[in-house]
Amino acid sequence: MKKTVDVSIPLGPVHPCWKEPVRLKCETAGERVIRAEVELGYMKKGIERIMRGRPWQEVMFLAERVCGICSVVHNMVFIEAMEEISAIAVPPRAAYLRVIVNELDRMASHILANFSYCYTIEHETLAMYLLNTREIVLDNLERITGSRINTAYMIPGGVRFDLLPEDAAAMLADLVKVEDEMKRHVRIFETGPLIALRSKGIGVMSREEAIRSHTVGPTARASGVEESDLRLRHPTYRELGFTQITRTEGDNFARVMLRFDEVFQSIDLIRKCVETLPEGPIRGGGLCKAGETSYAGEAPRGELTYTIKTDDFGRVLDIAIRTPSIMNIEACAHSMIVDAASIADVTSTFISSDPCIACNER
Amino acid sequence: MTGYLYEKDLRQMKFTILTSTRHDEAVRAIAGRLGISDAKLRMVLIRRFDMSLLENLESRWAMGQQHADNGDPVTKELGCELFTRFVPLVDPGVMQSICSETRAMSENGPQEEALARGKARIREAVLS
Repeated sequence: MKKTVDVSIPLGPVHPCWKEPVRLKCETAGERVIRAEVELGYMKKGIERIMRGRPWQEVMFLAERVCGICSVVHNMVFIEAMEEISAIAVPPRAAYLRVIVNELDRMASHILANFSYCYTIEHETLAMYLLNTREIVLDNLERITGSRINTAYMIPGGVRFDLLPEDAAAMLADLVKVEDEMKRHVRIFETGPLIALRSKGIGVMSREEAIRSHTVGPTARASGVEESDLRLRHPTYRELGFTQITRTEGDNFARVMLRFDEVFQSIDLIRKCVETLPEGPIRGGGLCKAGETSYAGEAPRGELTYTIKTDDFGRVLDIAIRTPSIMNIEACAHSMIVDAASIADVTSTFISSDPCIACNER
Repeated sequence: MTGYLYEKDLRQMKFTILTSTRHDEAVRAIAGRLGISDAKLRMVLIRRFDMSLLENLESRWAMGQQHADNGDPVTKELGCELFTRFVPLVDPGVMQSICSETRAMSENGPQEEALARGKARIREAVLS
């Protein structure tokens, strides 16, 4: 980076507000941030290279290890890409169960993102409340899949476990609890004067900037980018009548509030799935074949794309993963943070974009 | 104070980003559009872009192909918006002067020649 000012402030790689190591170099004039640069490379896994040449049965487990927060959607997008290559049909019941698990994962991810934001702006009380509520969501994920994080729930042609009636009843009861608690948390966030001071009008990204850097997910939707939710194109979500939530402010407050709104939307989607859950098998079967595709799905942070090439035995010959954080972190560093009035706003703005460094570095 | 403690040499990691499947395709497409070699473009990108921008290069290039069009055929052919806003390889001020000079030349003479000279100036600006 060309040095234009006297004072350069590095934030990280080890920083109390960062969940993962990343270094932000901020060029400042007084407190004002002129420009920022992102330095990665502290947790590169090289997972795409590890995946190459391996059979899909191994790659599906590696795929969900790209990210420890939204692992379910990595599993889902990889499996749906394999199904597209091999023309494998999914039974309707399995498709609905996938939505339930995916939405539970989205809720856990959004609540964790908002926890991080509240923690960063020093509202630790609300942060801890949110973390507590997230536990209920993870408990339900464990109840259905047997695991809280790396579930390996989806397989080509279906899912591994059915939803038992008693588990469905327990999950619905828990969702009522989560909904009540989240309403209280949202009220605290919406009405907190200090939260507003740290969030409203801070880290603003316009719609044009969001489009230019291909920002995706809640970060794009908070800046008013329409049709940016890939669930709109997913057949099961279309059956469920999914509609996208959009805000126009484009600031930290909008991004956090949008994630809160999406948690409620996920609760509604799960309820709808349970109410209308079709009867039938949860596994259709099918063989993975040779082919090539680029398949995208909506992760909690936005568009997640897997470009895969396979051989006749279902071995992955080539794979490229484009995670949403690649676009969102870049937009954050080069649009939101630029011209921040204070260095204190850099950390909160960076966290408001829900950056996942593990996803970014893969 | 402009230096950092523990500053690392990021060139190898930046090169690794640029040589992944999708990034390599994007680099080849950009180099083809600019008329310079892939290796030279990689060198410029490593020198000028931070790691996050390099990671997002492929998406920005794809978005630029779709949205970088203000209706003017000369600026579109030169990639004025594409190479300043989407893939920021050229300073906007420099690009502005190249565009206006090319437009003036194309009004007074053959358009192909004007565009060729404009593109050559953009290449110079990228490699400088």
